[in-house]
Amino acid sequence: MKTPRIIRIILALGAFAGFGTSSDWNPGIFRVGLAHAQEDWRKEFDDVCSKIQDAMVFTPDELRDFVGRCDKLKPQIEKLDESQKKVYLKRLQMCRDLYFFVLGSREKKQ
Amino acid sequence: MKRALLLLLLACVLSGAAFAQTVAKKKQPLPYEYGRVVIHNFSEKAGLAPVVFDHWLHRAKFTCRLCHVDIGFSMKAGATGIKASDNMNGYYCGACHNGKMISDTKKVFESCGKLMISQDWANCFRCHSLGKKVKPEYDFNHFTKNFPKGRFGNGVDWEKAKKDRLIRPVDFLEGISIQRKSISEQKDFGQGAKVEGRPDVVFGYTMETRQAFRGAGMEGRPDVIFSHEKHIVWNGCELCHPKIFKDVKKGASKYTMVDIFEGKSCGVCHTTVAFPLLDCQRCHIKPIQ
Repeated sequence: MKTPRIIRIILALGAFAGFGTSSDWNPGIFRVGLAHAQEDWRKEFDDVCSKIQDAMVFTPDELRDFVGRCDKLKPQIEKLDESQKKVYLKRLQMCRDLYFFVLGSREKKQ
Repeated sequence: MKRALLLLLLACVLSGAAFAQTVAKKKQPLPYEYGRVVIHNFSEKAGLAPVVFDHWLHRAKFTCRLCHVDIGFSMKAGATGIKASDNMNGYYCGACHNGKMISDTKKVFESCGKLMISQDWANCFRCHSLGKKVKPEYDFNHFTKNFPKGRFGNGVDWEKAKKDRLIRPVDFLEGISIQRKSISEQKDFGQGAKVEGRPDVVFGYTMETRQAFRGAGMEGRPDVIFSHEKHIVWNGCELCHPKIFKDVKKGASKYTMVDIFEGKSCGVCHTTVAFPLLDCQRCHIKPIQ
């Protein structure tokens, strides 16, 4: 008798969580989760693009890694609201292009 | 005979009109107009005059990089597609014009604020001012009176103004910019130890061109010395590479004054905002040997 109740509670929590992430109605704990997800892209963006001034001193493998990280970030930024998306897609593109440009120049040299 | 005279007169009128148009196109802007951008993507649809943006005031306070990289303004007039909602959400103009930021001990006025739409149209006209008699908060002549003089463009030597610390363009905006090392801290860049592109790059005439100059009894212009150091202060790296300058290898791209005058390579900035191309001696500085 106890087991089905536990299962019911787990299912209810699961449904609650699903609701929280898929609709505008967002209970506090899940909003925190979403906010973290949103902050994650920004953290990664800041981390990747903060090093572009050093692009000339990175190895080709490091540069490839940066380009890959930029590519992974793109779909996350595409999910943002219109204003944010417009600004950060452009910034990400500039950042990626610079790494790719330096990588290309290295590969040409080799 | 009359018909011939009439045709001649018509030809004169038409060619005169064409000449006038060409001259009008070549008219040099006044110092306070140089670098002016008119933004009219959505304003007229919203019943407002297009926005008039003066580069001179903004470039005295912020680096090009801050606005064109961190804030995301396009380098091409009208290509950003700024909407009032973007500004309200704190992007583009709204990144600084938020009614909170302090500049020169003054609060920067809010652009496209949510309350403004219903309450204070006068604030809208501070930017949406094309064709309107709006008194600007900053007067160009007063603002630039102590700045070192330049020969063209705004009539200001911005580079020297920065060197003399008459202006201190901000390069970081809290919540928008990314904290990063200053390029000046990277000594290896200046010394060229690890970096192929040294801070100064010489753009020389080809041997044939130089010989052609000499054949015509002329020395021609000196070669160009391009300083990365000077440009990085304002632009960072990603504003120019790879979109404007796509080659790293010296000599891989050929630059012509025709292309530059058409707004390519150096012309992206030096026909619009930075000192104009008429100021030959500021780039062609390598002594002829």
